[in-house]
Order: sequence, then structure tokens, then C-alpha cells
Amino acid sequence: MKRRVVVAMSGGVDSSVAAAILCEQGYDVVGVAMRLAQGGDAPSYRARRGACCSYEDFEDARRVAERLDFPFYVVDMRDEFGNRVIGNFVSEYLAGRTPNPCVMCNREIKFDRLWDRARALDADFVATGHYARVERCASGEYRLMRAEDSSKDQSYFLFSMNQSQLSRTLFPLGSMTKTEVRRRARSLGLVNADKAESQEICFVADNDYAGFVERAAGDAVRTGNIVGSDGAVLSRHNGIHRFTVGQRRGLGIAMGEPLYVREIRPATGDVVVAPQSELRSRGLIAREVRMVREPASDSIAIEARIRYRHPNISATLRLRGGDCAEVIFDSEGPAVTPGQACVFYDGNEVLGGGFIEGAL
Amino acid sequence: MNIYLDNNSGAPIRPEARDAMLRFIESGAANPSSVHISGQRARRALERARTQVAQSIGADPRRIVFTSGGTESNNLAIFGTLKAHPHRRRIVTSSIEHSSILAPVSELRAQGYNVERIAPDASGLIDPERVASTLDRDTAIVTLGLANSETGAVQNLESVGARARECDAIFHIDAAQALGRMHVDVMSMGCDLMTLSGHKIGAPAGIGALYLRDASIIAPIALGGPQEAGLRAGTQNVAGALAFGAAADVVHDHLDEEVTRQRDLSALLLRPLLDSIPGLQLNGPVDRRIANTLNLTFPGVLGETMLLALDLEGVRVSMGSACAAGAVEPSHVLLAMGLSPAEARSSLRISLGWANTRDEIESAASIIACVWRRVVATASTDASAEVAR
Repeated sequence: MKRRVVVAMSGGVDSSVAAAILCEQGYDVVGVAMRLAQGGDAPSYRARRGACCSYEDFEDARRVAERLDFPFYVVDMRDEFGNRVIGNFVSEYLAGRTPNPCVMCNREIKFDRLWDRARALDADFVATGHYARVERCASGEYRLMRAEDSSKDQSYFLFSMNQSQLSRTLFPLGSMTKTEVRRRARSLGLVNADKAESQEICFVADNDYAGFVERAAGDAVRTGNIVGSDGAVLSRHNGIHRFTVGQRRGLGIAMGEPLYVREIRPATGDVVVAPQSELRSRGLIAREVRMVREPASDSIAIEARIRYRHPNISATLRLRGGDCAEVIFDSEGPAVTPGQACVFYDGNEVLGGGFIEGAL
Repeated sequence: MNIYLDNNSGAPIRPEARDAMLRFIESGAANPSSVHISGQRARRALERARTQVAQSIGADPRRIVFTSGGTESNNLAIFGTLKAHPHRRRIVTSSIEHSSILAPVSELRAQGYNVERIAPDASGLIDPERVASTLDRDTAIVTLGLANSETGAVQNLESVGARARECDAIFHIDAAQALGRMHVDVMSMGCDLMTLSGHKIGAPAGIGALYLRDASIIAPIALGGPQEAGLRAGTQNVAGALAFGAAADVVHDHLDEEVTRQRDLSALLLRPLLDSIPGLQLNGPVDRRIANTLNLTFPGVLGETMLLALDLEGVRVSMGSACAAGAVEPSHVLLAMGLSPAEARSSLRISLGWANTRDEIESAASIIACVWRRVVATASTDASAEVAR
């Protein structure tokens, strides 16, 4: 009997080619597009061009399913996404942190709630178009690995996956380059073969995340002062959610020396700025830490990735019990941004990760 | 396997309807307005079909206007009546109508019309006295469905007709779901306008009709030709009309036996489901219902997930309406009856039709129970908590 796989389809080229590959491999493919945010109705897509859940994206996914001849459904996950991803996104910004909603969506939606739906459909696997790989070791344990194409590698966003999730997840694109994926899409005649990459946060139109937070939070937005590291007030600002640690541009202050956001203090609303020399850190504290495999020891040499597009930093991981850990950089490192994911790598393997609480 | 239990969305095409269409297509499919003999033949076939459709509701064939379907008939009834009665500014309807009534009425409200939407009781029935008491001499049209597409509830409309006549208001009945599932007689219902739909009774989609007690009741909305007594411009869909006529004929000739058969099948489906699914709830009235429709709230699951899981097992059912992207939305009818959003999201509509067999219904009963057990076991804790609320 063919094994059934539910493929999460966004309407983009990656998830479409992932579905095509699974069809070729003989799986019983069921395509599912998740309606995550508002939108999805024909009239709204004009207003929200580029944001997810647009009518056009669903139609692209539907055309791919028609072309490859497998069943396709749009499922309504707005409640779960609203509570678990958008709610977290807003509250993190209001708390002075810079969230990563893609990590949250993978953890809470794609490999959790979608799996529940998939099981209800009698599926054996969930698949996505992520560029990452799952390997099974001789011991039977699963390892989460970087993609072959390091320029497209998305393993950073997947660090929270556990053994049971990895055992039922397929990443058909893990060994392909983006160029190969597009070539495959063209040869299959898929409508979205040359569709542009989605770069922005999917539920925020025009990348106006500050406006999004303000509409969602209303009066809860925390305004305050921009202060120097000596405490001197430099100017007012319209909300701490407009700032991210390490940010230089858009501070609205001109000083002799370039200034960067060093710290955001939600209690007072202060945004502390300082010259780059004061932004160095020797490590970070991570919370909500998840390890993909049972770690051999609680002190491990790793390469830490503190943002998706940031070079790895050699460090030592110290697991502190609970879901807390310290990451101590081998030499002084850059500013770390609270709320971003810190992912622990050993070569090509993702050992785990957590969310940055603060600098050490 | 393919067990089609979504006949309220559209029934499979009856062989009689297919044959009638094919004969016309193969004969050359001329324009019934053309003066030549080919056109005359098409015209005669069209008029035969008109007679067949008229007979199925006890109407004079000259009072039947063919349209593209129920949606167009409802739009023509509402906008056409207002156009012919420009001084009347009030519209009365209910909150459980099809979107092809609710959307025009919303649009008219935005244009300044005074709109009354009567809510149903918990079983989905509209109190006819309440409707009658809201009618006045400013009322242009009262528009109500006879059989509800979601629950099968059959409304008691006789007293509405009498009161509408007293006020000179136009009384429109949407009988799209009723035709073929109960006796429908325009004379005894006292209505001025009635919507009929072909694809609910085994003709293809794309053909419907509007009955008019008198041609002066409405003014045409589509202009550009003398067809349909000037009330609906555009070359008629003769193939569709012939299929509609043939299907209406079969429905009319075998109504009692088919209604009894579908009532038995519906009981054959419901009984084992009530036994095997604790807490299963039947929505809608117990007695005043068309027999083919079962609207069921399944405890502890999302109706959407049930619908997809059943589909992959070959059982086709439906739920509420679909948005443009194809995601299902909870039924506005169930919400209007007072079900919670969570209950409405746990509800499915199962609608039987002429093609369903006893074997199919027995298989469907066991598949539905089996799929419910699987889906309820996979419902994660907070989703089921939400559903139970």
C-alpha cells in the first residue's frame, strides 16, 4: 500500500517541486495549503499583494495539484496561527525582543498542528519545501542536517524539531539547489516555476511590521526615550517595537560617532544606544532550548548561529537544566538580539537551539 | 470508491436529462429565436421543456422564464421587483437564506433600502406570523426559502402569502432545494415569484427558472433581446433547458416514491451513526424537513478535517460554504439557529439524491463512523477543548 504524505503547499516553487518529487517517488500525495492569516478571499489579494494566504498563491498551489493530479485542500488554521504565531510575534515586540515568526510557525503549526490534521487524514508523513535534510543514524536516531545547497539552507528555522517529528517528516529538496528546483519546475510545466521568492514575513503586508504591531497592540505599544549609555536622553521614540538590538539606521539621531541599539528596556521604554565598541558580547543566554538528539554531555563545542543570515560563531554550549542554556563564544562576539533564535550546529548537523534571552 | 452525498450542492445528471441534451446538440443546436426551420425546431423543444418545468410546480408554462440558475433567478426576482416597484423601500427576508438572496439584500441595504432579516428558531424554522407582522405597504418584496439547503428545514409559508397580498407586497419563494424533494405547488403557496434550479434535480448547472404569477411583477435586469417575453435577454441555453425539462418530468412523475426512498435511506444512515457516535447531534427540525438532508454536529472534531478525511475515503459531503480560495467556513444558517461557532465548525451536511443506493448508504454509515473515531483520536487537546465549548 502506498504511504500517504501531506505536503504543505504555499503556492511557491519549492513546495510545488517537493510535491512533484514525492509523486515521482510513489507516495500517495495530498496537498494542503494552510490559510494562516486573514485574506484568502478573491477581493483582498489586491490589497495584500506579496503577503501570504493570498488568493493567487492558493490558486497557484491548486494548479500544481491539478497538473500533477493529486487531491488539494485549503485548510483554515487562522485560529491556531493567530494564537500561537501572530500573538507571540506581537507580544515579543512589545517585550522589547525581535521575534522570528518562521521558527515559531514551524514549531507550532507545520510540524505540530498540521501533523494532527495529517494524522486525521491517515497520513504517514508531512512534507514541506524546506531546504534541509533528515538522516537516520545506525542507532535509529534521526539527525537534522543542513541542506546540500548552503546558500539556501533553512535548517536554522527547524531547530526545534524533535525525534518523533523528524521520523515523520520529509524534506524532498534537501539535496537540491534552487537552480535545480526551478529547472525541475519548468520541465514539469508548473505555473510558478519562475515565481519570485517570498522574503518578507508572510502575514505582514509590505514588510510594515511596526504598523502591524501597532494595529494589533493599540495602547499597549510602549513609547519612551532613546538614551545614551550614560543615561542622557537623546530623543523620544514611538515605540520599542520599532527597534532591534544591533540596529544602526533609523534612530533619528546624529552624533559624531555611529550609534547602534545596545539594549531595549520594556519596563521604562528606554532604547539604549551606544557606539559599536560597546555592543560586543562574550556569549548569550538561551531559553526554550530544544535539542534534536539527546546530548552526550552538558558542555558541547558548537558553532552558534545567532541570526539566519549571520556567519556561525565558534562557542561552547552549556546546558543549564530546564530549557535554559548558555552559549559562550570562543572569542568576543557581536551584539546578540533578544528574541532571535540561536541555533547550535556541529558541522552540518543541527544539535538544537533556543531563543536568545540576552547577552552574557 | 465514490459515494456522493452532496446532492444539495448539485445532483448527478439524470440519464433522461443527458439524453435530452445530447439529442439537441446532435441535431445541430440552432438558436430558438431564428426564423428558419432549424430555429423553429429548437423553439418547439424549448417550449416543451418549459411545459415540463411548469408542470412540476403546477404553473402555466407561459409564466416560466428560463435563467442561468438559482442565483440569477433570485437576483432577477429581487432586483427586478424593486425596479418595477420603485416607490417601495422595504425588503423582508430571513437570516438563513442562500447567499444569492443575502448578498443582493445586503447590497440594497447599503443603497438605503429598509431591510428586515427574520431570525429562525433553534430548529431552523421561521415563524410565519412574525414575517407576516413585519409586512406593510412600503414592503416591495418578501423573499424566503422553502427548503433550507443546509438543514433541510421546510418553512410554513402559506400565511405569509395571504398577508403579502393584503399589503400588495411581492412574495418570492426560493424553491431551489425544494423541487424534487417535496410537493411544490405555486397555486397553493400563494406566491408571486418562485426560483427553481436545474442542477439540484439532475440537470446540469447553468439552467434555472423563475416562475412569475404575472409578467408585470418584475422589470428585466438583463437587456438586449426579446427572449423570454422580454424579461431575460440572451439566447436561451436550450440544451440545459431540455435537460431541466426532462429531469423535472421524472421528478414530477415519481415524486412520492422517491421521497419515501430517500427518507428510508436517510434513516438507514442516521440510525447507525447515532448508535456509534456518542453525542452526535442532528440539526434542524425533526419533522418539517426534506428527507434527503442530514446536518450533523460531530462531537470533538473539526468538520473541515472530517470532510477532508471522508473525501480521501471516497465519501463526498459538505460544510457551510467555501471562500474564494476553497477553505470552508462555518454555516451561517447554523450560527443563526444559535449554534456556537465551535459547534458550527464541527458540523457537516450530508445530502442524498436520486442516484444513491442502499449499498452506498450502508457503506457510508460505517465509513463515517470509522473516520470520526480516527479524527477524534487525533484531535489535539486545545482544538477539541475549543470544539467542546
